[in-house]
Amino acid sequence: MIKFLKLYERFGIFIFIILGSIFLAIASPNFLQTNTILNIIAQGTYGAIVGFGMTFAITSGGFDLSVAAVMGLTSVFLSLLIPVLGIPLAIIISLLVASSVGLVNGLIITKLNVNPLITTLAMMTIIRGVSLLVAGGRQIVISEKMFSIIGTGFLAGIPIPIIIMVVLFIFMFFTMYHSPFGRHVSAVGSNESAARISGLNVDLIKIMVFVLVAFTAGVAGVIRTSQTLIGIPTMSPGFELVAITVTILGGTSLAGGRGNIWGTLFAAIFISMIYYGLNLLNVQIFFQMLSVGTVLIIALFIDGARNRYLESVRAKGIKV
Amino acid sequence: MRKLHILKLALITILSITLVATFSFVGCAQAEEAVEEVEEATEEAVEEVEEAAEEVEEEVEEAAEEVEEEAAEEPITIGFSVWTMEFTFFQNVEKGVRDACEDLGYEYIMIDQNADPTKMVQDLDSLVSQGVDAISVTPVDPGALGPAVQNARDAGIPVVCADIGKSGPVNALIISDNFEGGQLAAGYLDELLADNPDNTYKFGLGNLQPQWTYARERGEGFIDKSEELGYEIASEIIVDPPSAEGGYDTMQQIISAAPDIVGAFFSSGREAVGAAQAVEGAGEDIYVVGYNGDPEELQAIEDGILAGTILQQPYVIGYQSVEILKEILEEGAEYEDEVVPAPVKLVTPENLEEIAAELEERRGQPAY
Amino acid sequence: MVDIRSRNLKVKVAQQWENFGMLFILVLILAIFSSLDPNFRTVYNFISIFKYSTFIAIGGIGMAFCIMSGDFDISVGSMLAFVGVLGSSFIPFIGGVGAVLSTIVIASILGFINGIFITKLRIPAFITTLGMLYIFRALAYLYTSNVPVYIENKFWLYIGNGKIFNINFPIILMLICYLGGYLLLRKSPFGRYIVAVGTNPDASRLSGINVDKVRIIVFTLVGFFVGISSVVVSANLGSANPGQLGQGYEFQVITAVVLGGTILGGGNGSLGGLFVAALIITALKNGLSLMQVDSYWQDVATGLVLIFAVALNRIRYTLLGQRE
Repeated sequence: MIKFLKLYERFGIFIFIILGSIFLAIASPNFLQTNTILNIIAQGTYGAIVGFGMTFAITSGGFDLSVAAVMGLTSVFLSLLIPVLGIPLAIIISLLVASSVGLVNGLIITKLNVNPLITTLAMMTIIRGVSLLVAGGRQIVISEKMFSIIGTGFLAGIPIPIIIMVVLFIFMFFTMYHSPFGRHVSAVGSNESAARISGLNVDLIKIMVFVLVAFTAGVAGVIRTSQTLIGIPTMSPGFELVAITVTILGGTSLAGGRGNIWGTLFAAIFISMIYYGLNLLNVQIFFQMLSVGTVLIIALFIDGARNRYLESVRAKGIKV
Repeated sequence: MRKLHILKLALITILSITLVATFSFVGCAQAEEAVEEVEEATEEAVEEVEEAAEEVEEEVEEAAEEVEEEAAEEPITIGFSVWTMEFTFFQNVEKGVRDACEDLGYEYIMIDQNADPTKMVQDLDSLVSQGVDAISVTPVDPGALGPAVQNARDAGIPVVCADIGKSGPVNALIISDNFEGGQLAAGYLDELLADNPDNTYKFGLGNLQPQWTYARERGEGFIDKSEELGYEIASEIIVDPPSAEGGYDTMQQIISAAPDIVGAFFSSGREAVGAAQAVEGAGEDIYVVGYNGDPEELQAIEDGILAGTILQQPYVIGYQSVEILKEILEEGAEYEDEVVPAPVKLVTPENLEEIAAELEERRGQPAY
Repeated sequence: MVDIRSRNLKVKVAQQWENFGMLFILVLILAIFSSLDPNFRTVYNFISIFKYSTFIAIGGIGMAFCIMSGDFDISVGSMLAFVGVLGSSFIPFIGGVGAVLSTIVIASILGFINGIFITKLRIPAFITTLGMLYIFRALAYLYTSNVPVYIENKFWLYIGNGKIFNINFPIILMLICYLGGYLLLRKSPFGRYIVAVGTNPDASRLSGINVDKVRIIVFTLVGFFVGISSVVVSANLGSANPGQLGQGYEFQVITAVVLGGTILGGGNGSLGGLFVAALIITALKNGLSLMQVDSYWQDVATGLVLIFAVALNRIRYTLLGQRE
């Protein structure tokens, strides 16, 4: 039982995926097809990629609501820079621009001592305004067709966004669990003053976390822009909630200190599956919102029950 | 200002009366030499003076009246409240309103709702309190206009909605014929598929978010015409998020749900371009038609990605809203809850250049 | 000696800033806009700012309690929409008064349900309310089949648009709500419990406070004030639209509460500050719009002022050499 619960902590959301798959496979003949499944995973990549960053932010006890705005900013810069600088350089500079938003977030949060929620909320509106100003209030068409490979191309039969996500996953996984930085982030998240006393440069760690989130948002922005070949200043409105939902559903504790990269990955795919799958059934969009909300509450209820069980076991003196 | 004018006029009157009097006195002095004519001359002079004085008085009164009239004829001010300036469509509506005001010599106040219904209502109230003479509004939430419009009408201010929808006692609503636009799209897809042996008579449909009621009619028009032509809507999905990349996702879902569709209609511009890119990416052979005529759509049509689009005329809608307000204000025309349909046009690769040139001429900037 | 004196001065400034800092920012904003735009400095416009700030100000009271008690509710926007469409659809059956009352009651019940989930099922508040954010919105859509409910009932409309002695009714309603909130927070034991639970839940539990009960009541209060806001705003709009009512409301309200000096994470807070903050937000939007600023500049300016204001608000901690 305890072993199972341990496993559940890491892969719990996977059970939801399996249950969901069985249901959809029965309900829709078009579900169990390579293309459909690849598309579902591909459409989950944006949530996953930004979710990775968000996982770090929430683990450090923070929050970032500006991710969708950063995606839009990246998109605008890409569309303006590609004709001038060529694709590779444009991507690099756009990602730098995106990361610099994270830097500003981090500086405001640590140096001006403003709450992360308010900072990133304010930055969300500021960045969206700036994107629109830079773009002159227009959508900017990218004429460089080569650029679309990043978002729509395939490598060995697998959509490139999925490959990007896997690479980022590996990177994030090792950063989170096998690097000093990951441990420091957890330390800051579980007890900030203790971390400060033990000599960690808390401000620097927080700033780096926000840079990381903004970077992941930038990557998602690059992929999305390349799919549509349009620079969209108001990209993906409401995406910040998706990223947060994915992270929390994945089992990252809101109290900070405990991040779950695996969970984020699976949760992103699961959410994508709900939306994609229910659309296959021609179900109205309200049911998708309803399902996401319900799953969120159920999943976290199970999580809470499991924690209480483990606590009671621990109280009996059994080492878990 | 007005007081000053009257003072000046009064001064001039007094001066002129004195002058006339002086001249007549001088005339009197000269009359000493012809004593016989004195009495006559004096009488004449008195008469003249009196006449002159009367004339001057009349002139003064007329001038004063003119001054007052001029004061009442302050330039007419049009207040325009726009959904948001973040999208090309609304920017063009705004440009239409602004140009119309310029052409008609009206003052113009623009106020941006920033996509917030509460703010829309507050903005309309504040336009009323600023004393604008008429209001044109492109409402973010057409259902929420009621009390605000009532307030404006109570203050004697006519209100015209420029597209989207209406509620409350508005004078008129100018709106694209969305239903017809959807029908046009279906008809055009059918034309494209006329001699296609692979025609499966199945379409996909990407709708906008349901709270935007005006866009719903586009889908309804499309379904109506499609069914009439013998097509089945195999998959109908709401585009989420409402943006180009949302269109991309939705098209992938439509293809999965109904792999054998031959055409798709997206009831908004950017979404359609995203959808067309998804078709390209999947290597499918599906015609995609959009709605709006946004620059990125026109570009996509030129690039051969998008099969066509239904062109709305935001600029014309905006312009026309001011013209209707002019009729109400200056000609006393009766408008009460009228709906003025604005024509929509089909844009295809064939007529793209022509339409782009037309748009450029009207807006004074390249169409795409 | 000098050190102590300057330290004392700092403490004094910090204390005064806590009381009047936000007011100072509000006056600053009003002064700037007034000097720039003649349309802003009219009596009518000032009243209008008051009138439309009620939407955030009333909903903020519940949220302020919630944040003081160490929780968070991000379902308020969706809840606002759901109870708005539900309550207004009752008008034909139970009349305006009944519908208004039932809206407020239903909202309180929804808040109560949130509270039960959070305390009895022990799902963190943020997640429960995040889930509810999706669920309430979906229910609002489903209940109405996504057709806005038009409100023609006189009583309902009066709550948002009526006047008593030439004062807009929402303003009076807001003042009543603030009076109630103030009495509850400062003059009743319950107010002390809220602050105690927010400051240290474990200590409060040990000292005999029924923490769960306090939290449930707090969430019920959130619902209660959201219910009132819902009636006010749907009366202003003359309709309840399931898709558009309350979009982004949660963040507006949280922003107002935090701007007003209540600390995220629990502890003491200020209703007066919240009230002023709601005015700041409304005045800012109103002023920018009157100056015919485009959406994008509105976005940029609002964000900048927000950060600036909160940063200024934090000065007292810097002065006292504390961290939040």
